[in-house]
Parts: sequence; structure tokens; C-alpha cells
Amino acid sequence: MNGLRANCSAFAAVMRRDLHIYLSYRTRLVSQVLTSLFSLTLFYYVSKLVHVDGFGSHEAYFGFVVVGIALIGVMYSCFSIPDLVRQELIAGTFDRLLLSPFGAIRSVLAMSLFPMIFAFLIATITLGLGWAIFGLQLHWSTVPLSVPVMILALLAFLPFGVLFAALTVVIKQGAVGTTWVIALLSIVGGLYFPVTLLPSWLQTLAKLQPFTAATDVLRHLLVGTSVGGSPGVSLLKLVGFAALLLPTSIAVLVGAIRVGQRRGTIIEY
Amino acid sequence: MAAVELSDPTAAPTTGLEAPPASAPSDGTTAAPLALRGVDKRWRKDLPPVLDGLDLTLEPGTVTWVGGRNGVGKTTMLRVAAGLIEPDRGRAELWGVSANENRVRYQRLVSFLPAGDRGLYARLTVRRQLEFWARIAMIDRASFRTTIETAIETFDLGELATRRVDRMSMGQRQRLRIAMTFMADPEVVLLDEPLTSLDTEGSDLLRAAIGRLLASGGAVLWCSPSGERTEMDFDARWTIQQGRLVAA
Repeated sequence: MNGLRANCSAFAAVMRRDLHIYLSYRTRLVSQVLTSLFSLTLFYYVSKLVHVDGFGSHEAYFGFVVVGIALIGVMYSCFSIPDLVRQELIAGTFDRLLLSPFGAIRSVLAMSLFPMIFAFLIATITLGLGWAIFGLQLHWSTVPLSVPVMILALLAFLPFGVLFAALTVVIKQGAVGTTWVIALLSIVGGLYFPVTLLPSWLQTLAKLQPFTAATDVLRHLLVGTSVGGSPGVSLLKLVGFAALLLPTSIAVLVGAIRVGQRRGTIIEY
Repeated sequence: MAAVELSDPTAAPTTGLEAPPASAPSDGTTAAPLALRGVDKRWRKDLPPVLDGLDLTLEPGTVTWVGGRNGVGKTTMLRVAAGLIEPDRGRAELWGVSANENRVRYQRLVSFLPAGDRGLYARLTVRRQLEFWARIAMIDRASFRTTIETAIETFDLGELATRRVDRMSMGQRQRLRIAMTFMADPEVVLLDEPLTSLDTEGSDLLRAAIGRLLASGGAVLWCSPSGERTEMDFDARWTIQQGRLVAA
């Protein structure tokens, strides 16, 4: 019990640390909210220009894309882990985490919490701004259900960040790979347009990762967009990705750290 | 403390301690606070090994100095001892246990001060830094506050407690790093060039902290380049030559 409590305190300490560091940059929050506002404005007017099959109105497409904008921030938060690990390596704090009783693995998992929670907050603000300023029609009756689905989606996305963190530990680079993956997932994840517009081989790719399933279910819950398949199947897909990939990615990270310790490159950056 | 001359790095210096420290095995085994046994480490196959069958034993209540030229392997030895990197051959043990056998226990027993000024979060204040590392060290809830206040008081960080690290001098940062090293009451402390940037008062605080650790049965391994004036009385003095320890 004491061990569990000490672990929870350590997880909370990592989150508190990240919050304090975040708040030490005073304009960062304002800047991020403004970025969301500018994206909403841009897509509000783009939605008035475009006609996409399957959307009855411009507002329907705007609702579709706002959820995509909100989710891409959440996706980014998971892929920020390798960059955070690299910063720790450069600062020499990764060594200290590795040499602590809390350990490197739990530290890496803990350092993903603040960005994910913060991305969740920014996603909420984005949806709120979309509703308050641009008339986004939210389905209030199902909005609360989006919270557990978002948590499930984060658990399904997290392994990708952990895998890239493992790569960063070994080759000291991770950001290049994450940029490519985010760009690819923005296309095949259906964040800005329906995946049905893609060629069939890319549609297959869309089905092989959790982002499409998450956007489908969250859109259904938040703005009432009909889900491509069954919401239950999409949810099962998210559960499957989280259950399969999370332990796998942690095992890969453990292996990467061991390799770094054996080679002695763990202290390099 | 009287310095002693030793020719065998695995031989124990006289400690004068009446009782063994808490982590000493009670089964009569001869495990030491820290033992490096036959440690090999080679960075590249086409280069000679940095450490070549290195042996070292620290006894409770002793402080051991290891010197040598730059790049001779002092830091590598400390990193192996800390559990940060693994040797190609041989093992590092704390009371007979290696980091691979029980990593959490190993990391509770040992604390490592790396050379330089790294290992701090630039945007955190001194107090927040200490609080963070105390949580990561999993110091129990009952003694958490006392630990932080003791570290601040012991290392004279009171006036700096609310100052961000990136607004502190190098010497002040070093004092904070030393406070973090001793904060969780380790039994073995590994110091890599600990006097870097320290003023006289800072050096005195470090010596006092070492004195307290030794009195409680702890052990210290201090590495610095040969020729550095430390004003410490070491129980044993070694230099690394061709990957092995030689009496200094």
C-alpha cells in the first residue's frame, strides 16, 4: 500500500513539475488558445467554400473538422513524449530519473500525463470556442460519454509515443519520425476529411490504426456524425490497441534502456 | 580521519565503526557497501578497455579517493557503480546485490553526483526541485517535509529556496546538486568532481555532509583529477592506470 502511495505521489510529482515548468512560460497558454481560435476561424470559412459528399450542410462539415482539430492536439500530446525524453537526456535529468527508485520507465509514462491532460483541456476549449463563437452544434446528451472514450483513445495512442521514446533513447532522435507519422495519421485518420475520399489502399491503412476509430466515435458522441461502422466495433478496436500495444511499447522501452545501459550510450544525447 | 595506505583495492581500510549500518547483511557474509568486481568496460573494439578487470571495495565509514588523468575512466567507473551503465564483464554490488537483481533497493542505497552542472530543471525553483526529486526518490510521506527542510537548512539554501535554477550561479547550483545527492539518506555516495564551482563555505558544507554519512556507517567514493586540492582526509587513495586501480 505504501509502495502504491509512493508511486502515485511520484506520478503526481512529475505532473506538478511539468505544470510548474509550463506556467513559467507566461504566454504559452494564451498562445495555444489563440492558435485554436485561428484554426477554428480558418476552417469555419473553408467549410463555407467546400462541398463534401455525405455532409448535408456546411455546418455539418465544420462540426466534423472541429472534432478533428481537437483530436489532433491530443494526438500530438502522445507524440510529444520522445521530445520530452530527449530534453531530459540533454538536461542530464534522465540519468537521475533512471537512477531513482521510481525509475526511468515509470518516469517516461508519468511525463506523458501532463501533455495528455493539457491536450484534453485544449480540446475542450476548442470545442467550447467552436460552440460559443462559431455556432458549433454539440450533442449535449452524449457529450459526457466522450470523456471516457477520450481516455480510452489516449491509452490507444500512448503506445505510439512510448515506441518513439524508445527510439529516442537508442538513436537520440525521435522528432523526425514523429512528424512523419503525425502527417500520415492526419491523412489516414480522417481528421480533416472523411476517409471514404481516400484511395482504397489508403482506406485499408485508415482501418489499421486507432485514430480513425477514435475520431469516428468521438464525432458521433460530440456532433452526431454517423459512424462509418458500428461504434461498438470502433470501441473494441481502441481497447484492443491499448491492451496489445501498451504493454508491448513498455517492453520495447525497457529493452531500449537496457541496450543503452549495456552500450553505455544511455548517457549520450 | 586518518588516511591509510593500501596496495590492494579490495582490502578493507580500518573503519572504527562500532555497529554496522542498517543495510549490512546480518547473516555474517562479507558483503561491502560497494564492491566492484572484475569490471571491464570497452567503448570500441579497436580501442583498449577503459576499465580492465577493475576491483574496488568500500568499507562502511570510509571515504575513498580515485584520481587519474582526464579520460582515464573515473567517470565510467562511477557510472558502473551507480548502475547507470552496465559493465561488459564483472559486476557492481551494494551489500552483495547488483542493480539487475534488485534495482529499486540498489537505487535507494546509492546516490551519484555527476560532474558538471547538469541534472537540474532550469525553470524550477530550488524548493520545487528538491520536492520533485524527493518524490522520485520515493521518500515516505511522514518524513517528506522534514527531508526538504533539512536539505535546505543543511546546505544553506534558505535564501535561494524560491529562486529558479537558471537564475543561480554555478556554485549555487552545485550546492543544490549536492543537497539532492545527500537528501534521501543514501548509504553510498559517489562524487564526480564535487568541488566544481564550490566556494569555501560550499566545500565545508560538503565535508560536513560526508562526515555525517561516514558517522552513520555510509561510504563515499570521490573521483577527481590528480592534483586537485580537496582538503579531505581520505581513507584510501587510488589512481586508475590502464583500466585498473593503483595505489596513489
